[in-house]
Amino acid sequence: MAIIERPVSLEVQPLIVVAPATPSSAMGAVKRPVVTKGWRQWVFTVDHKKIGIMYMVTAMFFFLVGGLEAVAIRLQLALPNGKILNADLYNQMFTMHATTMVFLFVMPMAAGFANYFIPLQIGARDVAFPRINAFGFWALLFGGLFINLSWFLGGAADGGWFMYAPNSGPIFSPSHGVDFWALGLQITGIASLTGAINLIVTILNMRAPGMKLMRMPIFTWMILVVQFLLAFAVPVITVALFLLSFQRNFGATFFDVAAGADPLLWQHLFWIFGHPEVYILILPSFGIISEVLPVFSRKPLFGYPFVVFSGAAIGFVGWGVWAHHMFATGLGPISVAVFSISTMAIAVPTGVKIVNWTLTLWGGKLWFTTAMKFSIGLIVLFTIGGLSGVTHSVAPSDTQQTDTYYVVAHFHYVLFGGAVLGLFSGFYYWWPKMFGKMLNEKLGSWNFWLMIIGMNLTFGPMHILGLQGQPRRMYQWTENRAGEGLFNFGFWNLVSSIGSLVLTVGVLVFLINVFITARNGKVAPLDPWGARSLEWMTSNPPKEHNFDSIPTVKHLDEFFHRKYAEDTSGQMQQVATAEEVLKQLEDNADAHIHMPSPSYWPIIIAFGLPVTAIGVIYSVPVAIFGGIIILMSAFAWALEPSTAPDTDFDPPTSSDTSKDVVHVG
Amino acid sequence: MTLVNRLGGVICRLKSLILGTAGTVFLASCGRNAPQDTFQPKGPNAQKIDTLQKPVFAVAGIIGVIVAVAVVYSMVKFRDRGQPIPKQSHGNPALEITLTIIPALILAVVGVFTFRTVFDLNKTSDTQMIINVTGQQWWWEYDYPANNEYGITQPIITSGQLVIPVGTKVMLRETSRDVIHSYWIPALNGKRDAVPGRITTNRIEADEPGIYAGQCTEFCGLSHANMRMEAVALSKEDFAKWVANQLKPYAAPAESTLAKEGETVFLNQCTRCHQVNGLTRADGTPVIAAPDENVWSGAAPNLSHLMSRNTFAGAMFNLVTPECRTDVWKSESVTFGAKYLAGVDEPCLNQTDLRGWLRNAPAMKPMYANPALLAATGGKYRGMPNLGLSESDIEKLVAYLLTLK
Repeated sequence: MAIIERPVSLEVQPLIVVAPATPSSAMGAVKRPVVTKGWRQWVFTVDHKKIGIMYMVTAMFFFLVGGLEAVAIRLQLALPNGKILNADLYNQMFTMHATTMVFLFVMPMAAGFANYFIPLQIGARDVAFPRINAFGFWALLFGGLFINLSWFLGGAADGGWFMYAPNSGPIFSPSHGVDFWALGLQITGIASLTGAINLIVTILNMRAPGMKLMRMPIFTWMILVVQFLLAFAVPVITVALFLLSFQRNFGATFFDVAAGADPLLWQHLFWIFGHPEVYILILPSFGIISEVLPVFSRKPLFGYPFVVFSGAAIGFVGWGVWAHHMFATGLGPISVAVFSISTMAIAVPTGVKIVNWTLTLWGGKLWFTTAMKFSIGLIVLFTIGGLSGVTHSVAPSDTQQTDTYYVVAHFHYVLFGGAVLGLFSGFYYWWPKMFGKMLNEKLGSWNFWLMIIGMNLTFGPMHILGLQGQPRRMYQWTENRAGEGLFNFGFWNLVSSIGSLVLTVGVLVFLINVFITARNGKVAPLDPWGARSLEWMTSNPPKEHNFDSIPTVKHLDEFFHRKYAEDTSGQMQQVATAEEVLKQLEDNADAHIHMPSPSYWPIIIAFGLPVTAIGVIYSVPVAIFGGIIILMSAFAWALEPSTAPDTDFDPPTSSDTSKDVVHVG
Repeated sequence: MTLVNRLGGVICRLKSLILGTAGTVFLASCGRNAPQDTFQPKGPNAQKIDTLQKPVFAVAGIIGVIVAVAVVYSMVKFRDRGQPIPKQSHGNPALEITLTIIPALILAVVGVFTFRTVFDLNKTSDTQMIINVTGQQWWWEYDYPANNEYGITQPIITSGQLVIPVGTKVMLRETSRDVIHSYWIPALNGKRDAVPGRITTNRIEADEPGIYAGQCTEFCGLSHANMRMEAVALSKEDFAKWVANQLKPYAAPAESTLAKEGETVFLNQCTRCHQVNGLTRADGTPVIAAPDENVWSGAAPNLSHLMSRNTFAGAMFNLVTPECRTDVWKSESVTFGAKYLAGVDEPCLNQTDLRGWLRNAPAMKPMYANPALLAATGGKYRGMPNLGLSESDIEKLVAYLLTLK
């Protein structure tokens, strides 16, 4: 926000001082918002840290929504011929559970971490395009709310998150649920695309001096790979969703078999997006635990370049495996064999990561904090999911297991055991950085164990159910197919449902922990974990401008190497405390720190998107009205002054002479 | 961290491991005779898959154990005991490359066997019999093209149970009349989707006479869960008897019986959608059902020889009582054929479900059959509507249906 300027001596003043643009000198008629308190500091903010937190709060909200949907599903399936949900509601429930967890929880939660920590990890003060960043968040929020609006307007989407044609067509899904789904995902897709471009530009252009690509923190690397995946994958689903929307809302026949369409077109489009999407979901968590494991092992990530390149390799090979979701569709033996082999190939770089994490632990000095526990939990549980994935790559075997609970078990071990545990590791690791308080470690331990036990009870039995032949997406199961003996469908379904309740309690413990920490949590020391990367070289929480002076990077794990050095005998010895490192940065504070000003327009443009979408479903004039909102606010966005003048601030900061930071126009 | 925590870590990891991978196959085998178990092949196609997948599961389990043991070992061995900060080693490329090549080699071996099995399973040149299988919401239609070798002198159209001769390489030519379905009899082969506008092929073969259960496995809307199937394998002689029965001409019920009255109800209420081959009106004209005018998919189950099947309503319900069903399902393969071919007689008829179905079908199976909600389909149903039959009509209909041997 504005320009933060310190009193500076003459010799460091720039030779040419360009007068900053002010409302009077810019074309725009609308001023920048300048309120720094209350709700307006959030709604109009362009600060990457505030936006990151808003992403996380939103994602956490949708995590709870998706979790409740999951519990409803498990209660329905606890006993044969479940009566809690009817078939229609059940179909909506599993469709929305997956949609919510994938698009509205894991993706935005990862986006939240990326937003908050990428600039900090690369030694930047904000992202490259702060207003676009804000826009991306609001589009995500409005898109997510828009999809869920369908619950109250005739029923949610009921075709499964994969929304196979022609079952998604107007004949087979007559409610507006699928319309809300398709248009809502279109909106969140816009959010993902803008976010991806923004972070790619930020990471490639705004690294601190000396931070070569191979000195970037591994989390930043994984996020970079994810943003490239998003940038190429989201357009594919965008096309597919447009085809679907035009079919449903404007009578197009892209998937109408009677008109000559081939319904497999949808499957190819969906999975060309959908498989890279799997890596979009998992790689951020791989990045998080690749930060956490070295910190709590007190040694660098084993084989950093291997982890980087295996991440990149996953990013590339991930484009060549989509048809393994379609082994049963009758693609023909050549396609099946090729995709089978490519799927096996992608297991290799994934295995490399698991090996490297394990070897990071090896020979370390392990400190079992909650963050560390979640990370180690990920190694073991993700490995189980990865190995069941390998059994799927064996195409003939997959034709037995696909669309059974074995697959459900597989991807929950990958996504819960992988992505979600990684995100929780991130919460515990970075909470002191974000909020200046330590999450309670005792409750953290309860949180961890309840979630681990809960998830294994919930998803472990699903392996067995699937191999015993229970298909997915059935609103009821029948005793006729349950088998005999104690360990039949009935037993494992019940165990799974009980497990889901344990899991729920585990998540509740996390929320309690957050609540207790917020009220009277322990204030975090500057460097609570003995961390290694740049985001810890600033205060907790970081200052608005992140760093007083931008550090020059000489090492991978720069922060660690500023604190520790090898003595003559080759032992690592502490040479500086975190406080000393920080003080050095503060003493060399930059003279001019230019921070972007808040803006009204990101949220207003984003609001135009659901208005347009509502119009597409119910009334075209409303869609045109939404379009006008977007167009006009795009103009306003382009023409607004580049910064807010100092006199706009309330109270004017220039009157506060006790501080050496002043906002000027 | 405390010792308890560490021990807990060990136990939990072992437990999750057992649940997750290594013990899966073992535990799956604890529950016996799940009809759709994927590890109990009953024919050569499923056997090929089984032979391939068992070692893969075993290897996956072993690797899972190795990783878990390595992690747990490091957790115990390298926990913070006040040792100095370790050397800041950045890795060991030789070890790294070795540990990359080993899994790659394992996968290469798996890949070779996978490759062979994929092509093996797709072989169709030695097919001995073709059956057209058509999926629609929410039942399967089986259409046997004329095939003199098996005595099928004219096409047979049936539903509910797929009847095949044992030891015969049967090719299912699958398609769909509405959305995508997937045909899956785990004991005989893996899944193959039935895609509208396409024909996919799926080879099955059963070694022994018996009933093999299956389930539609591509999500296909409201009653996906209720779209079941059963494959009935009969000895070649029994199959010939079954064919002969299916080709038997229509036998109208005797005059002035309850069944004859039922035929009239059937003519008035059911023949708009349901075909019974050979059924004629009072004036002698043949009755041709026109499901395309009333049902979105354009088809309804052909009810000729209904009582030769054990199921109805897309195999959601048994046409026989539970006792009679157990008697057939559990019989030895020698006696199975005779029991199955006996069909359904009155003592064995599952009156409860059949009457309930006739009374109000949508109440028993979720379907789009509410006339008020059919705007999108131009008034066509998806599934059987509530016909509002009186109890006496139902009585008559049941009597009539029992004559469709």
